[in-house]
Amino acid sequence: MPARRPPVRRIERWLWVTASLCVSALVAGPLVRVVASVFEDSGGVWSHLAETRLADYATGTASLAVLVCVGATVLAVPPAWLLSRYRFPGAGVLSWAMLLPLAVPGYIAAYAYTDLCAAEGPLRRAIDGLGAADGMAWLVPDMRTLGGAAVVLASTLFPYVYFAARVAFREQPASAIESGRLLGAGPLATALRVELPLAAPAIAAGLLLVLMETVADFGTADYCAVDTLTTGVYRTWLGLGSEVGAAQLSTVLVVPLIGLFTLEAWLGRRRRSTDTTCRVMGDRRVSLGMPLGLCATAACLAPLVLGFIIPVVHLAVLSVNDNTDAGRSWLPTASWNTLRVASMAAAAAVVLSVVLVAASRFATGRATSLSFMCSRFGYAVPGPVIAIGVIAAVSAVSGALHAAGLPTLGSVFAVGSLVTLVVGYQTRFLGVALAYTRAAFERIDPRTDDAARTLGVGSLGLLARVHLPLARRGLLVGFVVLFADVVKELPITLMLRPFDFETLAVRAYKLASDERLGEAAGACLAMGGFGLVPAALLGAVLSHAASSQRIESPNR
Amino acid sequence: MTSSSTQPVLRVRDVRFGYARGHDLFAGVSLDVGRGEVHALLGPSGCGKSTLLRLIAGLERPASGRIECDSQVLTDGGTFVPPHRRGVGIVFQDLGLFPDRSAVSNVMFGISGPRRAARARAKELLRVVGVGDAANRPPGQLSGGQRRRVAIARALGPEPRVMLLDEAFEGLESDLRRAVRNDVFGILRSRGIASVLVTHDEQEAEAVADRVVRLPRLSRT
Repeated sequence: MPARRPPVRRIERWLWVTASLCVSALVAGPLVRVVASVFEDSGGVWSHLAETRLADYATGTASLAVLVCVGATVLAVPPAWLLSRYRFPGAGVLSWAMLLPLAVPGYIAAYAYTDLCAAEGPLRRAIDGLGAADGMAWLVPDMRTLGGAAVVLASTLFPYVYFAARVAFREQPASAIESGRLLGAGPLATALRVELPLAAPAIAAGLLLVLMETVADFGTADYCAVDTLTTGVYRTWLGLGSEVGAAQLSTVLVVPLIGLFTLEAWLGRRRRSTDTTCRVMGDRRVSLGMPLGLCATAACLAPLVLGFIIPVVHLAVLSVNDNTDAGRSWLPTASWNTLRVASMAAAAAVVLSVVLVAASRFATGRATSLSFMCSRFGYAVPGPVIAIGVIAAVSAVSGALHAAGLPTLGSVFAVGSLVTLVVGYQTRFLGVALAYTRAAFERIDPRTDDAARTLGVGSLGLLARVHLPLARRGLLVGFVVLFADVVKELPITLMLRPFDFETLAVRAYKLASDERLGEAAGACLAMGGFGLVPAALLGAVLSHAASSQRIESPNR
Repeated sequence: MTSSSTQPVLRVRDVRFGYARGHDLFAGVSLDVGRGEVHALLGPSGCGKSTLLRLIAGLERPASGRIECDSQVLTDGGTFVPPHRRGVGIVFQDLGLFPDRSAVSNVMFGISGPRRAARARAKELLRVVGVGDAANRPPGQLSGGQRRRVAIARALGPEPRVMLLDEAFEGLESDLRRAVRNDVFGILRSRGIASVLVTHDEQEAEAVADRVVRLPRLSRT
């Protein structure tokens, strides 16, 4: 937020504070409703869960989180270091291609790998064809296990760590690293003793994002039959039919996740406050000789093959080989629904984020800061938890509106309306929009505010005539990233969608659950196509940074 | 542009360097720096003073020429000793202290041997440069003068034969600058370390250096 506060009239200030509080109430309300459920009677569901399933859910969540974090570190950090410090065959392409796994949602990679490693799958058939079925059975792991889910999630989420590590290695002070070399440490020793410790806060921030995504994951854990708290919330809601029980189970997740989110935000602030006056390493890289160069290429290619090439190629093969007529008939409707709902949600999130960021700029104070902070928490909370909160909150609002004699308005906010679905997306993704919008507004010099005010422009005029034109590129990037996030989102859509309303994610989930993966492959690839856009945008940020001093990465 | 000494520790012979073919930053630079001597490099911005230090340290490779230290060839046509095996210490203008380590841990970085002995020697070096009481503080909690002294102590840790100082006293207030500078060169001379100082300040160069070498800016072709 800007250090200086331009003078704003009292009435304007009051309006900004009110708008900010309304937005945060809209998106944080469902979370408050979830936490408030602790005081309600679940009809014995909670005690039943606590006695029977809670320990399994907690253990599954913790085990999956640890395994995924270890896997993502192994897959991301060595390539990030190699690509930051050395030139070798393919390094230019690999530098941005390492972000491509972001385009593949974990649950889609899980569908592909499960089919690939199935008892009658292509991998097993290939090994049988070699006549070494027994000796090479270990090459075909069972993907519907904790280990399988961890491999899938690590190979699709590692780009969060890769991006953070890449930026950190680039921004490291050149003199510190050169000093390490001159004090007797070789390249590897310097990497371990100087570069890695310096990059640790950024890597930790990337890992926290991976951790939050893992804990929030529903589709992969559900498909791989891993019991986690997130899948437990969904099963309690669907199987036991208890919203209160599901909400109470959700509180077990919400409180530690908000703690993690606060830690991530703190790490992000620390990264932004590092010394900017020293000479940074930037894009200075050393050429590697041939044998070592090829090893480096292989080390960087392996995560990309695992997280992008194998699932996408396998799904493409499945899609081409799919002969069912039904495999094509639903695709236009599901695509149109996806496009419509993702556009609405992304546009609404960008508008709401502009309101919150502008309020923080024009009406600096505790109220706007608190609104800003509360509006970000949803990103740390799993989709099923948010959906439960939205259902409870919307039911209360809808009931109150009907009671007040406003049935038309009440039906707009009913469970199963498009408006409710978009509200659910806002709760989950407004934090992402805020990160991009804040980054765009922070680049605007506060003195332009002062200059515009002296020319007689009010805060709304300043926003419309100065801020929005200057921030439009950042807002557009935020819109595209959000659009792709909403396209991939599964549990909120599954639980809050209107009757007979299917997006690509929902259709793919239902088909894959019915073991009709050939039909699901088309939807999976279409979603991957939407996801390529933000991956390409982040890749462009990395490439562009080669010619600039520092990389501005929005802190999600 | 050659300075002579009877038994030079550092010998730089006809070094040529350019970032692009046909665009030399400098050409034919030679230096002979004897034991305990201080040579100052002066010249306009962009003439390659800092680059010459980076060539001596092995952080860049020259297009041609020869660099020796105690008769060991560091850089020649076919020879290139990597930076960590040169026995050359450097203090950068921005110091390059490791921000995540305390002052004593920074100095220990380059000292080999048992940890306890390395720590004792690091503390001794910090005491010698006048910041013994700040041993456990990270660089972020030290003043500008203290940070420079820690950087000097760290560079002295591996007992270098040659010390390179790249505008190492920039940004210090004049009295403090004089005090730090006198202390540092007193230590370097007493230990017989050959030193090369890059500076913009002619008075400083005249005050501390045994020889002043002026690098001209080459006209770009």
